[in-house]
Amino acid sequence: MDMTFISNLLLASVRMATPLIFLALAELYSQRAGLVHIGLEGLAAIGSLTGFLVSLITGSPFVGVLAGAAVGILVNMIYAYATIHLCAEQIVYGMAINIFAPALAAFIYRVYFGAGSELVQVELMKPLSAILGIPTDNFFAALLLDQTLMVYLAYGLVIFTAVYFNKTKSGLNYKAVGEYPKAAATLGINVIGTKYVASVICGALAGIGGAYLTTCYTTTYVDGNVAGRGFIALAAVIFGRWSSSGVLLACLFFGFCDALQIRLQVGSFGVPYQFFQMIPYLATVMVLTIIGIKKAGPKGVGKPYRREER
Amino acid sequence: MKNGNRFINVLVPLISVLLSFLIGCIIMAALGANPLTALQALWKGAFGNLRNVGTTLSRATPLIFTSLCACFAYRCGVFNLGGEGQFIMGSVVCCYIATQSGIEGLPAIILCLIVGALAGGFWAAIPGILKIYRGQNEMIISIMLNYVATLFMGVVYTDWLRDGSVPQTVPVPDASKLSRLFGLRTTTAFIIALVVGLLVYYFLFNTSKGFQLRAVGLNMTAAEFNGFAVKKYILYSFIVSGAIAGLGGSAELLGTQFNLINGFAAGYGFDGVAMALIGQLHPLATILVAIFFAALRVGSTTMQAATGVPTSVSDIIQALVIVFTVAGLAMVKLPEFKALVDRVFSKRKEAV
Repeated sequence: MDMTFISNLLLASVRMATPLIFLALAELYSQRAGLVHIGLEGLAAIGSLTGFLVSLITGSPFVGVLAGAAVGILVNMIYAYATIHLCAEQIVYGMAINIFAPALAAFIYRVYFGAGSELVQVELMKPLSAILGIPTDNFFAALLLDQTLMVYLAYGLVIFTAVYFNKTKSGLNYKAVGEYPKAAATLGINVIGTKYVASVICGALAGIGGAYLTTCYTTTYVDGNVAGRGFIALAAVIFGRWSSSGVLLACLFFGFCDALQIRLQVGSFGVPYQFFQMIPYLATVMVLTIIGIKKAGPKGVGKPYRREER
Repeated sequence: MKNGNRFINVLVPLISVLLSFLIGCIIMAALGANPLTALQALWKGAFGNLRNVGTTLSRATPLIFTSLCACFAYRCGVFNLGGEGQFIMGSVVCCYIATQSGIEGLPAIILCLIVGALAGGFWAAIPGILKIYRGQNEMIISIMLNYVATLFMGVVYTDWLRDGSVPQTVPVPDASKLSRLFGLRTTTAFIIALVVGLLVYYFLFNTSKGFQLRAVGLNMTAAEFNGFAVKKYILYSFIVSGAIAGLGGSAELLGTQFNLINGFAAGYGFDGVAMALIGQLHPLATILVAIFFAALRVGSTTMQAATGVPTSVSDIIQALVIVFTVAGLAMVKLPEFKALVDRVFSKRKEAV
């Protein structure tokens, strides 16, 4: 355990936490409007594929991320319509999205590349230090500058979310929709509209979270590359007690677990590598077990809202 | 009106299937294939002759187990999304006994099936216990345990029970394999699946415990006020549901797969949930849905060979069926829709 091991571990934690931050914020925005969304895994899968394909075609990872967000929104509109207008059970429909979106992603990949294709790779997004041409020889310079723009965007969004939900009138109105939609409606808040806005934000952020994996993390797309991050993000929202700072800390913790397992795999120590790969999943179970039963989420979550109902 | 409801409950999935096939045909046409020839090939591949029917039923067998697993837990109001992990743990333990214990033949088969079910039940007990004692979200826990189980199986087939240079376990000895039916691909595992389905049906709808379990699923608060031990039912339903999946895992290993390998059981858990939802949590309907899904999978290989339409089109069709069915079932429950149906029915009565 020397200093380089630790500094590399911390740098990797920041990188691994970033997709989780996007996904957890997506879940947070959705739940704050009363929509629990367990389909993020699926949205991230289709976002990941779109990010990969578009950055391959256009040569620009930024366009890839934007396209990932757009497709995330599109697919999430199915969820939004079914849960908001048809009052489908949110958990069940999230499950449907989890089955539909990855199937769509796999299908598009097969059709685009044919059956027996060789591994196609894309160029990853460059870190800020490479764009500005600043050398990063010490740990703090690397931590602050050796990151892609997506990392800065993620942290910016965390700050924005904290301010928006706690300090602005519009943010409080938004939260009211998730807490008690009927009261919100009496105050003249557009409940249905807010829920749709929430779904747009959620789809975009989940798509970006998925696209991060193929534009900033690995150079290629494989089925199942989201690897449960959509569900871990759901756990991060619970662990972070529905506040954006809490969610950030939870994501950093899970990102740390992910980084740790990769580092330990390299060390190996004669233990089958799969045991290290279990770390993030087991950590999620442990953390949820420890924090226990306290409920702090929006009260209206999971319940359909019907305007006509009295 | 009761009859009308039942009619609609069958109609919604049927319309969803039709819509999904319609979209599937549009995709096929867009890919430059003739949808009719493709569908014909799909049908032939799945049910064209006795051999293909056998293959379809053998593919349906594991899906029946995981969909019954999802169905049973959801009847009690809890979402068991961990069917895949429970299935895998059942097959891992079964693999150990079948290949390492030295027991062969019928005793080995019986032992493997029992222990597989126990392993699945144990794996499901973890989210169940965390749910009732720590108030945990059973969905997240059971999904996390899926990943752990898949990785654990990875350890077994790449390291502990590895068969030489190939990353797979040593195969189950011939004497311990489940026997085939009429020389087809289908094995006695399919019969076991059907029996489990009937048992689940009988338990849920013909016993008082089953009634109480469903009552807990329909309204937990009301069940609690009636003095039902809600927590106990939740835990037991989780364990039984996991045991069904674990039994399926060992039956699949002894009947079809014979060794653990990368990708074993991948996606079976979520597929099971989808099928249980399309079958509207009715165990027997769920079995039919599982056979339908298996037919789409088996037939798609023939379709690809005959027309060049990739097999993933059939995955899209399956995914669309679930998307449409769930939305459709929600739609028919809307007051506006019920009012519309009532208006149509009352008009007809006036006309008579």
